[in-house]
Amino acid sequence: MRRLAIGFIPLTDAAVLIAAAELGFATTEGLEIDLHREVSWANIRDKVNVGLLDGAHILAPLAIASSLGLGHVRVPLVAPFALNLNGSAITLAHPIYEAMEATGHDLSSGLGVAQALGEVVRARAAQGHDPLTFSTVYTFSTHTYMLRHVLAAGGLDPDRDVRLVVVPPPFTVESLRSGLIHGFCVGSPWNAVAVEAGVGRIALLGPEIFGWAPEKVLGVHARFAEAEPDVLRRLVRALHAAALWSEAAANRAELAHLLSAPAFLGLPAEVLARMLEGRLNTTQAGLPRENPDFLVLHRDGANRPDARHAAWIYAQMVRAGQTTYSPDDAREAGAVYRADVYDDALGIAPAGSSVGDPVKTCFGEAFRPEDLADYLARVKPA
Amino acid sequence: MTNDPGLKIVIVDASPLRAAILEAGLREAGYLNVMRLAEHSNLLARLHAIDPDVILIDLEDPSRDVVEQMFQVSREVKRPVAMFVDQSDSSTIEAAIEAGVSAYIVDGLKKERVRPIVDMTISRFRAFSRLRDELEQTRTALEERKTLDRAKGILMKMKGFDEEAAYALLRRTAMNEKKRMVDIAQSVITAADLFK
Repeated sequence: MRRLAIGFIPLTDAAVLIAAAELGFATTEGLEIDLHREVSWANIRDKVNVGLLDGAHILAPLAIASSLGLGHVRVPLVAPFALNLNGSAITLAHPIYEAMEATGHDLSSGLGVAQALGEVVRARAAQGHDPLTFSTVYTFSTHTYMLRHVLAAGGLDPDRDVRLVVVPPPFTVESLRSGLIHGFCVGSPWNAVAVEAGVGRIALLGPEIFGWAPEKVLGVHARFAEAEPDVLRRLVRALHAAALWSEAAANRAELAHLLSAPAFLGLPAEVLARMLEGRLNTTQAGLPRENPDFLVLHRDGANRPDARHAAWIYAQMVRAGQTTYSPDDAREAGAVYRADVYDDALGIAPAGSSVGDPVKTCFGEAFRPEDLADYLARVKPA
Repeated sequence: MTNDPGLKIVIVDASPLRAAILEAGLREAGYLNVMRLAEHSNLLARLHAIDPDVILIDLEDPSRDVVEQMFQVSREVKRPVAMFVDQSDSSTIEAAIEAGVSAYIVDGLKKERVRPIVDMTISRFRAFSRLRDELEQTRTALEERKTLDRAKGILMKMKGFDEEAAYALLRRTAMNEKKRMVDIAQSVITAADLFK
């Protein structure tokens, strides 16, 4: 039995990893996974770097930023398995949402929410108020790119018209309550936690912005992938079996129960079950907003690390001004996503080239991975 | 010693004791400009206001991700911050992470100027966790002693033993069952509670 130390952040999308470790899927592959709960993405990256962790549940954009050496020392990571797609939402303080309702835009649509928010921000600026502050959990995260996309679609400059800050998930509720921030884009369960606490309202679910967005991946150090390819293949197979199990509606209650344990998420199982189902209460009183793709754990090839998703992440980094475009970096970003390891582990033939927008952009410029430079020239800076 | 007394150092640590120990160490080493932040709210704005040269942060503090936001060159940030250790410093990264601390410095600050600060931080963090372990051991020992005393009291009362005989019985039983005395004592207490 090979023991592996794997880190995770207590979020709903650690589900597949936790199921693999706790429900026997790893044992079947001759692996024993010791799960290590971590408090920051920086810790995850650093512990994988120095080898205290063999791998981790990690933000896909952080795995890429780390491999490119953006903002930190270069730590080459590889992602042979996508743990989920989607799972995020945008939550706003009640007064902001009420002001948006007053604009008359259709708040049941993503674009409507973006336009209403844009109007509210401009109206406040005209009245001489301080700009609104929004938070995400890490600079290199899909949450950041989603929020910036929404702001840009509302006609705003995310760096000038509003303030974007990082607030760790455990502090989001208090920060929203105290008015330090006016809204946030984070992963499940933190939107629901803020709603349950009565401090905010869910305005938009992630898949209403990008229908098929990369989120967390299994990240391992490149030297581990190099040194122990067989162990890595076994880990991918264990995660695959766990993902298949986790996706099934019949197992949802058991999965929610497992995740609710204090060692993992420490939240009521019924709240977690709603996330897994894609039915979120937007206010304390209820008012559910539903989307079957809210959190995708397995189906439709979600676990296969799609290099086009890595390209999208890289493009959003450029769009956000986190780096400047270079074809070499674009290639290197794509190489972090190791579909070859995934295919090899599961014994499947490489998929043919797919067409269309791999992230299913709901409004604004569709993503075209075939021509990154052209996409970047067309898309609004965000 | 060639330490820079003027370097502005901020310690972000929710443990006031450990932060105080580190601050004292840095002051002894000649650093005069040391500040402690224990409160998380609005950390970024406060760091901007202080404009530190070096930030030392506890690894168990979720606010590390807030500090890392400062890496991003944005209009709001005055001086970008980068982790002290670069690729050539992997042993320092390792030592720091294992000790449970992380260090950030402003871009452009020479490594040699920061090295003594980081070394001091690592050694104080290690010393603190040793202290905490010892404290934990002492506390456990004290609790075990209390458990033994209670079990002895029960045996003395129920079987009319004197203290020595009660102790001898606990020890003999522990040896026979290949268990620790404290476990036998706990069983005695549990059984006595059941028979109450």
